[in-house]
Amino acid sequence: MDQSATPRELHPLEVKVLLQYGQGDAIGHARLVADLGYNTGQVNQALSWLSAKGFVAETSRATRVHYEITDFGREALEKGTCEQRIVDLVAADGALPLPDIAKRLGIEAKDVGSAFGALSKDKVLMMDGEKRAILAPGGVETLAPKQLSLRSLLSRASTGPLEESVLSAEEKELAASQAKKRGAAGSLFRLAEREEVTFAMTPAGSAAAMALKKAGATGEEAGALTPEMLKTGSWRTVQFRRYNIDVPPTRVPLGRGNPYCSFLARLKDKLASLGFEEFDGPLVETEFWNGDALFMPQFHSARDIHDVYYIKDPTHAKSIDQPWLDQVAATHEDGWKTGSRGWGYRFDRDFTRRLILRSQGTVLSAKTLTRAKVPGKYFGVVRCFRYDRVDATHLADFYQTEGIVLGEEVNLRTLLGLLKMFAEEVAMAKEVKYVPGFFPFTEPSVEVHIRHPSLGWFELGGSGIFRPEVTEPLGIKVPVLAWGLGIDRMALTSMGLHDIRELFTNSIEDVRSRRIS
Amino acid sequence: MPKIDVNEELFFKALGRRYEASELTPLLTTAKAELDDWPKSDGILRIELNDTNRPDLWSTLGLARQLSIFLTGNVPSYPFFSRAGDVKKTGDRRVVVDKGLKDIRPFIGSFVAEGKEVTDALLREIIQSQEKLCGNFGRKRKTIAMGVSRADLVSWPVSYSAADPDTTRFIPLDFEKPLSLRQILTEHPKGREYGHIVSAHARFPLLADGKGEVLTFPPVINSALIGGVKTGDTRLFIDLTGPDLDTILTACAIAACDFADMGFRVQPVAVEYPFDTPYGRTIVTPFYFQKDTVLEVAEASKRLGEEFTADQAAAWIRRMGNTVRVTGSRIIVSPPEYRNDFLHPVDAIEEIMIGRGMDTFSPVMPRDFTVGRVSEAEEYGRRARELMIGLGYQEMIYGYLGARKDIVERMCVDGADAIEIANPMTESFDTVRNSILPNLLASEAESAHAMYPHRIFEIGKTVQRDAKENEGSRTYNSLGFLLADREAGFNEVDAHALALFYYLSLEPSLSSMEDPRFIPGRAAAISVDGRRVGIMGEVHPRVLSNWGIEMPCAAVELRLDLMRGE
Repeated sequence: MDQSATPRELHPLEVKVLLQYGQGDAIGHARLVADLGYNTGQVNQALSWLSAKGFVAETSRATRVHYEITDFGREALEKGTCEQRIVDLVAADGALPLPDIAKRLGIEAKDVGSAFGALSKDKVLMMDGEKRAILAPGGVETLAPKQLSLRSLLSRASTGPLEESVLSAEEKELAASQAKKRGAAGSLFRLAEREEVTFAMTPAGSAAAMALKKAGATGEEAGALTPEMLKTGSWRTVQFRRYNIDVPPTRVPLGRGNPYCSFLARLKDKLASLGFEEFDGPLVETEFWNGDALFMPQFHSARDIHDVYYIKDPTHAKSIDQPWLDQVAATHEDGWKTGSRGWGYRFDRDFTRRLILRSQGTVLSAKTLTRAKVPGKYFGVVRCFRYDRVDATHLADFYQTEGIVLGEEVNLRTLLGLLKMFAEEVAMAKEVKYVPGFFPFTEPSVEVHIRHPSLGWFELGGSGIFRPEVTEPLGIKVPVLAWGLGIDRMALTSMGLHDIRELFTNSIEDVRSRRIS
Repeated sequence: MPKIDVNEELFFKALGRRYEASELTPLLTTAKAELDDWPKSDGILRIELNDTNRPDLWSTLGLARQLSIFLTGNVPSYPFFSRAGDVKKTGDRRVVVDKGLKDIRPFIGSFVAEGKEVTDALLREIIQSQEKLCGNFGRKRKTIAMGVSRADLVSWPVSYSAADPDTTRFIPLDFEKPLSLRQILTEHPKGREYGHIVSAHARFPLLADGKGEVLTFPPVINSALIGGVKTGDTRLFIDLTGPDLDTILTACAIAACDFADMGFRVQPVAVEYPFDTPYGRTIVTPFYFQKDTVLEVAEASKRLGEEFTADQAAAWIRRMGNTVRVTGSRIIVSPPEYRNDFLHPVDAIEEIMIGRGMDTFSPVMPRDFTVGRVSEAEEYGRRARELMIGLGYQEMIYGYLGARKDIVERMCVDGADAIEIANPMTESFDTVRNSILPNLLASEAESAHAMYPHRIFEIGKTVQRDAKENEGSRTYNSLGFLLADREAGFNEVDAHALALFYYLSLEPSLSSMEDPRFIPGRAAAISVDGRRVGIMGEVHPRVLSNWGIEMPCAAVELRLDLMRGE
């Protein structure tokens, strides 16, 4: 029982019942229909709500039979019953074989057959020597009273179910003979049985009714405010029904940014706010930019066939821009003018044009050097492709965040300063630790580890000062700091996820329900 | 990044005492190493080494050597190395190289290690060094292969020759019958794994002794007899072969220092070439070939952002195991025997950083003023994104690498403009997407249970072949959106697209087009200033059924770069 229900939260359907009846009244379907003009659905709603609240209690239940008109019955009401139409036809046109009757009336042969059976039993029609239906003597008169009674039943049933209790004995017999409980499509009526439950007002119901009366409730309060009420000013005299605000509303699918994209956009904004300009580039790259320009020797183990994705067609770029190609090639071979001894091998100028999918964001850092301003700060949040089995921590393509800083004042200590700024500004870290690192294209190299508010200690990123073998062949004379940040773990944490594949999920429902903290 | 199993007992014995994880972690950073796992139960520390140019650290003793130098300042000496002007005597220990190897696998380094019994623990160490040195640094034996044989069975001189693959036969390790070199390539598991390195040549490399007894068939497999090293052996013949001389001399040096640190006496071997090498026709290995690196102290100070003297810097570099001299402002560094990673003076600067201690450098904020901004493409994408959200669309984000089956076949397109991968790992990732529509339909196919209507979009990159481009393709910033609902149709997405164009201040014109992805007569090409920038239409039921989608869909795809006028 819902003890908290107060009269204010009752639905008008309930209010009217409580106000209409008193203790001792038998409250049931027929009375609510008759007294309050409810339809069956409204009766059921009102009584089930009131019963759940303990305002009415069941006193008895009985099965009531009634007849509902079928589509077949409606057709009979409109055009006459099958029997009537057959008799009319035979009376007008004389003897006819049954198939001709079916054809002319557009009635199925089997229905004509069963109608003829009933009519000949009632001695209305008979068969002549040539298997044609003819009128039996006095047949029309014999048929008339039954047809009249049927018409009356059909017409009453056409406006609503016909209660068996209101029918005379003859009518009951007639209706029963034309009704079926199931499969009633070929019958005039459907026989329906309904449990009729009778309720009585409980003391709690009476108390609620008292409260309602005191509050002046009528059950006639208005639902919605309409434009008409506003136009006519009728809202001034109308009382608005109070709504139950605890009912859960329908769900709305809204237009919304993807939390991971929003995370990436915020990251880009943060980097821009720290003075970095964004770079980007094509997904298909050459070995030249992906590795050679970064002074990774062409025989380096990380460049083996199973570490990058090769493009099937075309396999090679048309050319590599000069003077970068010659300068990079010379640097690999003998160090060129960089002060390096180089890798001491013959640079392969075919291999360098080989097309691949970008495997590291540093490619774009290197390309940016060829057009960079000094001093300059650049960043990219770019998709990279790795030859990895896809699992909870690896994807075939994923974002890398990295960039460069060019300037006379670039050195190890300003590199540490920059990493500290990233740790504090991007990762909200209070504690920062630096350890020596290794990257093929920087010297020295430093890893930055941070204590993240929710992840604890982890490696935020790597960085270093580009080797002169990287910068000088690309026309840069000042030191260049290169940095990369691992941001996916922070992204996952901020969304409460644990599997990197979920960042790129196909599931609309998952993305709709995802929040970012 | 290689990971190695470090034998606890050998490791701590070499370091002089036991270390706990809390002490070890900071110490390991001086070798760019990390403690990966230390289960304690099996006496093994699992350590990850980050510097791919320092293969000398990829063994228990090599790592212990570096840490021990850092802790004690004592630099070990390896007097068995020859160098220009100081060539060690080898007696009859000679390896004679066949000129036929010149274009196959010409270089070999070799030595004998003796006077110590091979135990189980040492054998595991030797095997691990071999695996890391050859598998990882030597690119799966392509540039380095290492053989260890039983020196007592070897008759000198040893010949390193180009052998006939069909007539040369011997019993390989783990086999009982002799096989020809060519048979080994197909019948021996190591032959199947490494045979491709030599199989294209008419002759294969072979190491045999003075009596013609085979030691090893590099880079594939040792012989069962001389090559079958067992615990209890006390004299070993070590060979390292490959196509690049410096790489082989480095690998030979690393192996020799490791054996010396295990307690073996290293005996040099003379390698005689029938052709010139940068170090002459005879090279006695192990051979020290490093050149000095000369560093100006001012250059080091500038790069590190810290003032110090040349003598201070020299002390820090020495602490990393280098031999260092100072003349005025110049610091002259001779790297240790086992290292070949000093290419440029900056490499010595890093030695200062680590030798002095990372903690001694304090961060300084860079002061250069620069203007920050996101790219124009990003700005434009954000405008489109905001409008799509306003139109009630949920933003999605997808992988760019996909399956041809999805990108081409299910879409009923010919895929002529799609970039395929030559070496896909799986069929799920064999094509770069040329359109966002397959991803949007994949979402719809997985989301029939999600409340309708579905309105989804993505702004991301697509790649299309383009013969005009230097790289043969062009990457576009694209926008795709899809509407899936009982009444989803052309009219609605058309209205949404036009709203988008309106607010982006563009005047699009539509023209009817035939596209197998859309229902005929319900597809349009969208152009701006006569240039086609996108397409839209009601998705063809054939495409929907390919995806298993049972809800009508209409979709739009736009090339934002072209709309932006690029």
